[in-house]
Amino acid sequence: MIRLPKLSQLLPFAGAVLAIALPLTMPTRSHSIPAFSRMYNTSCSTCHLDFPKLNDFGKAFKDAGFKFPTDDESMIKNPPVMLGAPAQKELWPHSIWPGKIPGMPPIGLRMNNFFQVTGEHRNEFQFVPAGTTTPSVPTFVPRTNFETGLFSIFTAGNFGSDIAFWVDDDISVTGENGNGGLGDGYLRFVNLGRLLHLPKDSLSLRAGQFEIDLPFSPARSWNLSPWDIFGQTNVGVTGVHNVSNGFTLDTPGQGVEFSGGHHYGGYWYSVAFINQNTTGVTDPGAFVPTVTGNPFQSDSSFKDIYGHFEYRFNLERDKDSRRAIQAAGKMGPRDHTYISVGVFDFYGRSVNRILGATSTGAPTLLTAREPFYRVGGDFSFNYRTFNLFGVWMHGHDHNLIPIDATGAIFPATPVSFIAGAPSTFSGGFLQADYRALPWIMLIMRYDGVNSPEDRINGLAGSTDTPFFAPVMATRNRYTPGVQFLIHANIKASFEYQVRPRQQIAPTAGLLNPVTLNPVFTKPFRVNTAVAGLEFVY
Amino acid sequence: MNRKLMLPVLFVIAATVAVSAGDLGGKVSGVSGKSVVYVDAISGKPFPPADKHPVMDQKSLQFQPHILVVQQGTTVDFLNSDNVQHNVFWPSIGGDKKAGHNLGTWPKGEKKSFKFDHPGVAPLLCNVHPEMAGYIVVSPTPYFAETDESGNYTIKDVPDGQYTVTAWHEGAKPKSQPVKVAAASKSDFTLSK
Ligand SMILES: [Cu+2]
Repeated sequence: MIRLPKLSQLLPFAGAVLAIALPLTMPTRSHSIPAFSRMYNTSCSTCHLDFPKLNDFGKAFKDAGFKFPTDDESMIKNPPVMLGAPAQKELWPHSIWPGKIPGMPPIGLRMNNFFQVTGEHRNEFQFVPAGTTTPSVPTFVPRTNFETGLFSIFTAGNFGSDIAFWVDDDISVTGENGNGGLGDGYLRFVNLGRLLHLPKDSLSLRAGQFEIDLPFSPARSWNLSPWDIFGQTNVGVTGVHNVSNGFTLDTPGQGVEFSGGHHYGGYWYSVAFINQNTTGVTDPGAFVPTVTGNPFQSDSSFKDIYGHFEYRFNLERDKDSRRAIQAAGKMGPRDHTYISVGVFDFYGRSVNRILGATSTGAPTLLTAREPFYRVGGDFSFNYRTFNLFGVWMHGHDHNLIPIDATGAIFPATPVSFIAGAPSTFSGGFLQADYRALPWIMLIMRYDGVNSPEDRINGLAGSTDTPFFAPVMATRNRYTPGVQFLIHANIKASFEYQVRPRQQIAPTAGLLNPVTLNPVFTKPFRVNTAVAGLEFVY
Repeated sequence: MNRKLMLPVLFVIAATVAVSAGDLGGKVSGVSGKSVVYVDAISGKPFPPADKHPVMDQKSLQFQPHILVVQQGTTVDFLNSDNVQHNVFWPSIGGDKKAGHNLGTWPKGEKKSFKFDHPGVAPLLCNVHPEMAGYIVVSPTPYFAETDESGNYTIKDVPDGQYTVTAWHEGAKPKSQPVKVAAASKSDFTLSK
């Protein structure tokens, strides 16, 4: 039997849903590397179209481990410091293998500010829970906000022996003296395959904390608002699902990743094994180990697995040009005309813990290790200054439901779990970028997330900014935008998020005690305008 | 006639027949680093261009040399010595946008040539690396010189006469002034940005 959820049961989920909502109001992390500009004495646009969006050369530079793919040393204007003469290699193992560090600290800084205008229709959403007279959603005061985004420090480079490094840390985020955190911090051993006599660039290893290798990087996104699907959690309906999986694809993982190939043509693959950091809603009892102060967040030896495979076809007619990193045009080098297609799959376990009992009736902590997967496909088509790309994805959580000894589901004192109906969602995005001029990029984007569970959870969570929360089964928006490079390192961005208006269904006989208006259970989604100004140096 | 004797004799004749000439020198001040000084077009007096093709190279994301002075009508060879692709174009020559040209792209080791018939300064750019800058100064006469780092210049063997001489410096307003050359002469410039 399916029970309808009561508000008191939903409240614990409010936190989880707000966690979904918050990233939407926060700026996406994105980076270009002024340190490389300084080291090579070259402009941002050598590697970036509209920072941090990479051009073909930037992709090759990154693939090669933050180096020019060939003749790197002749390009460096600030020579590196040798940590051992190259001839020390001959003495090895009786010497330390010689490496090098960049000649100057490769530090880049980034700062951004935002201005946001939110539509007024928010007040037409007055959710009054059954059996109460008070709206659970307070009246919204229409407002506009200036918002500081983040101040971030980042560094990247190469230590010689094809060992690349990257660290970015947000020193402050959103507001006065707010603390940020470590974004990515990893070492990448490029072209490790040469030790195994594998073809060039067919095997590299990355270790540390990193964003998983998604087809389009949310951390390095050039959009003001994130791609919704990559931030989608899976929180099932209480009483139907026992799924409370806060995992999103855009959170950094800790672990190792094997990869190979090139992003500027041909194949690319990556396989990562990362900590299971998907702990859902835990029982607040003493059984649950605290994560605070504990450097190891994984609560089992199981490692989540992520794989991504992509193939890019360069479509230049001229054979030499087709194989080159950048296509050669009459007017100069440019990005290839290409089409790339890819697939990705994430397989993990989400942990749910609840208080239950042993067969003898003694209280115990029951742990459900919920298998889940996210599977999707992506494509990207580029013609000169026009780029059309998209992702479609499906999410699936197994749903282990607590039962008692008689087999009744969701009992007061569960003893074990059985598999219930899976909790799923799907969605994706389609985006078109057109660089009208080298410093103007027009963006049109569609985001859609279809999660049957979102609506229920959204209502419970809508105590603050429900227009950001996933309040309907289908959450979608059109986001036209435009970005201007004031200089190569200063960008003004604007986007308008249009959320199509949904049908409004007044609940029969229920009036808002304050406004005496009928209470709507199918709320509006309001439009939002966001402007951003950011600079890196 | 004794052939050994012939050359010196011819020289003496040439020297007496030719217009007497002298070095034009001076100093370009107000700016730091190298400048270019050249004698402007002399009406009714065309000069045959040099046969040699000077080279403008692109190496480690830079135009090398940074400034190249050539006589009008000279063909310049553009080289790419980098393993990355470059492009070469100039939006104008001497401010004349009609003289702008895009040479395109070519791989390492190959060269492209262009004959500079339009006098003035061609600012060289690369549309891949916007920080790259080079200059080709096209002098209408063979009488030109680059200054040293402190601004001193000498143009050798300028025939006596009345000319307009132009001084050019990267980023500064070029300046032209009349000069009377009679044997060794002097012309100083003060440029400003
Ligand atoms: Cu270039």
